[in-house]
Amino acid sequence: MSRVKRIAKELEECRQDTQSGVSLELNNENDLTHLTGYFKGPPGTPYEGGLFQVDINIPNEYPFKPPQMKFLTKIYHPNISSVTGAICLDILKDAWTPILTLKNSLISLQSLLQSPEPNDPQDAEVAKQYLSNKEGFVSTATYWTKIYAYTDSSSAAPGSAGGAVPGADAAVFGIDNEAVNQFENMGFPRDKTIQVLNRMGVKTLNVSNRSELENRVLEELLQECQ
Amino acid sequence: MKVNIVDWHGVATWHWKLASNDGKAGYVDELCGICRVPFDGTCPNCKFPGDDCPLVLGRGCIHNFHVHCILKWLEQEASKGLCPMCRQVFVHDPEDNPHSEEFEYLQQLEDGHRLLREKGETTYEE
Repeated sequence: MSRVKRIAKELEECRQDTQSGVSLELNNENDLTHLTGYFKGPPGTPYEGGLFQVDINIPNEYPFKPPQMKFLTKIYHPNISSVTGAICLDILKDAWTPILTLKNSLISLQSLLQSPEPNDPQDAEVAKQYLSNKEGFVSTATYWTKIYAYTDSSSAAPGSAGGAVPGADAAVFGIDNEAVNQFENMGFPRDKTIQVLNRMGVKTLNVSNRSELENRVLEELLQECQ
Repeated sequence: MKVNIVDWHGVATWHWKLASNDGKAGYVDELCGICRVPFDGTCPNCKFPGDDCPLVLGRGCIHNFHVHCILKWLEQEASKGLCPMCRQVFVHDPEDNPHSEEFEYLQQLEDGHRLLREKGETTYEE
């Protein structure tokens, strides 16, 4: 009972507030426990220009237990799973308190995009890249924002046109285009190469034991293309 | 001229005396942070405001809540016995509050969390 009243109040408050840049919508008019939140990627980050959707599920014990949130928009970020959208953020887990609201949880997510915490990752692969190859991370995250989070068709989504940007297909998996090109030039089909590199978790060939890595990829590719 | 008063009705208004009214806290929050209902109203499970749905003040942190709201929070193990506003250990002053079931229960919950903390600390040191 207390849950329903509070959610209704929060929704009303959020509707009246045009300043914060976050919005909440009910998935179904008759159900106050399943909502979708929206906010924009913070400026000055790879997420700038994107609109991010968050799935919100409110447990029975709300506001004494945190709402369950996960990203519906695919996003490349150390604390968010690139596959499931699961979020690693303390206030949505053990640091939750009942004075927090859906609105300020969404604002916290927005600031999580601004300041990733790679030492406490949700997506270990992304975090590893964030720490070892910041440039690669930024370009992939920017690319993901463009193809998954842009809503404005005029400024957006070269990828949706199908390979309008060179290397777009590789960038989706966070793989260096140069790595793909190298194997493509040897005569391996591009899609198979990306598939194999992704399966092996190889993002770039610019590592210390490059030739060894190349040989391993070659072996895999040969098996794949038999 | 002579006036005969046949009948009369007295009218009174009341407000809770909040922590901030004493000038202890910097700003005035009129809503219970947990249920988001004004303090002069009731928590979501009560019908009548006032003594039936009293407020409580944290002794260390001077934050107000409906007793019923803070009880529900402190019942959660995840609360760790902390004030939802400032995350200090939540304790109330038994002297300031009526002796009723609610406040006895509040005392029990506060004590329970203190024991858990002390136990946690000793195992941590070992």
